[in-house]
Amino acid sequence: MKICISSSGTDLDSNVDPRFGRCPYFIIYDTDIDKFEYFENESRNAMGGAGIQAAQFVVNKGISTVISGAIGPNSFKVFNAANINIYSGVTGTVREAIDKLKNGKLVLTPAPDVQSHSGMGRNS
Amino acid sequence: MIISVASGKGGTGKTTIATALALSVGYCQFFDFDVEAPNASFFLKPDIKHIQKVKIKQPVFLTDTDKSFKECAQFCHYNAVAIAGSEVIFFSELCHGCGGCILVGPQGSVREEDVVVGEIRKGMVSPGIEFFMGDLKPGTMRTTEIQNALEKYIEKEKLVIIDCPPGTSCSMVTAVKNSNHCILVTEPTPFGLNDLILSIDLVKELSIPFGVIINRDGIGNSEVENYCSQNNIKLLAKFPYDMNIAKSYSKGEAVISGRPELKEKFLDLANKVIKDKEAE
Repeated sequence: MKICISSSGTDLDSNVDPRFGRCPYFIIYDTDIDKFEYFENESRNAMGGAGIQAAQFVVNKGISTVISGAIGPNSFKVFNAANINIYSGVTGTVREAIDKLKNGKLVLTPAPDVQSHSGMGRNS
Repeated sequence: MIISVASGKGGTGKTTIATALALSVGYCQFFDFDVEAPNASFFLKPDIKHIQKVKIKQPVFLTDTDKSFKECAQFCHYNAVAIAGSEVIFFSELCHGCGGCILVGPQGSVREEDVVVGEIRKGMVSPGIEFFMGDLKPGTMRTTEIQNALEKYIEKEKLVIIDCPPGTSCSMVTAVKNSNHCILVTEPTPFGLNDLILSIDLVKELSIPFGVIINRDGIGNSEVENYCSQNNIKLLAKFPYDMNIAKSYSKGEAVISGRPELKEKFLDLANKVIKDKEAE
């Protein structure tokens, strides 16, 4: 299965980014082949609807699971419609997050944890 | 002639001054262009004769077919449309009503519907003030839509007074852009000065002649006045801080009622601004 993680950097030792819609990179990890790719998040500078555009990117990549520091209401809505599992409130490195997921240590997120636009105006 | 009353910082006294000007002159058009938080009606107490709903068109996606709406999602510059499998997720608060999705989407499967985003109200205030205001529906973000509907009623051959929203973003620009003169109201404090400078830059950019009013003079310092004299900026008037005026205001009373000297001062101000325009 494919997992998408919001990331501050381009490899597995980068930290899970505390934002989803406006994080700098996405890391897509394929558990079937134990390989990952990173993508620059093109939505981060969107005028509006960054979360929606980022979520659309995730949906189009055939992702089944998303890991992030926080998810806002718009991306949450899109993930729900696409039946994508959401694990947010996750900290630490991307590698640690994937391990926690594999060991059943992460809890599914039932509702958005932040308001719209909380990813803006931070250390971008 | 169109006179706009604006400010950088909010709460400096735009509405107080705009409504006082209108009541002193007595015969004019008055527009409350702060459609997100209109308050001029509290002081003018218009007799409202007509209410008009303002609508925009938004898409309805008919998803009970096999058609794909991927083109719509890709086209939408505002990210108002997302696709998950066969489901279309539409974010109406982001939709700008451009109609693009209807053009690029599957023929006949994207329809239009009218969505109310606010209303315009028109009425009269004696002796002869034609009153117009806009009221944006809470939660929608279509401020300029309401303002554009209001704008249609401006008759520039008449004396028109426009009460503007605070700040220097889209809604304030829409309110001032057609005016022949902009009165910038500020308070004599550091914030007042900082935000006044921002609004001066804006009206200069728009090539609108302007003047400054210092309201609640006495609560701060003389930096604003110094700034005006050092930069050749016309200081139209100063109104001293007055607890009694604050009390009147908080009761929804027009500040000139029962204060004939103040009414005189506003009439002089109006005449000054009108004369300056004629001199150009």
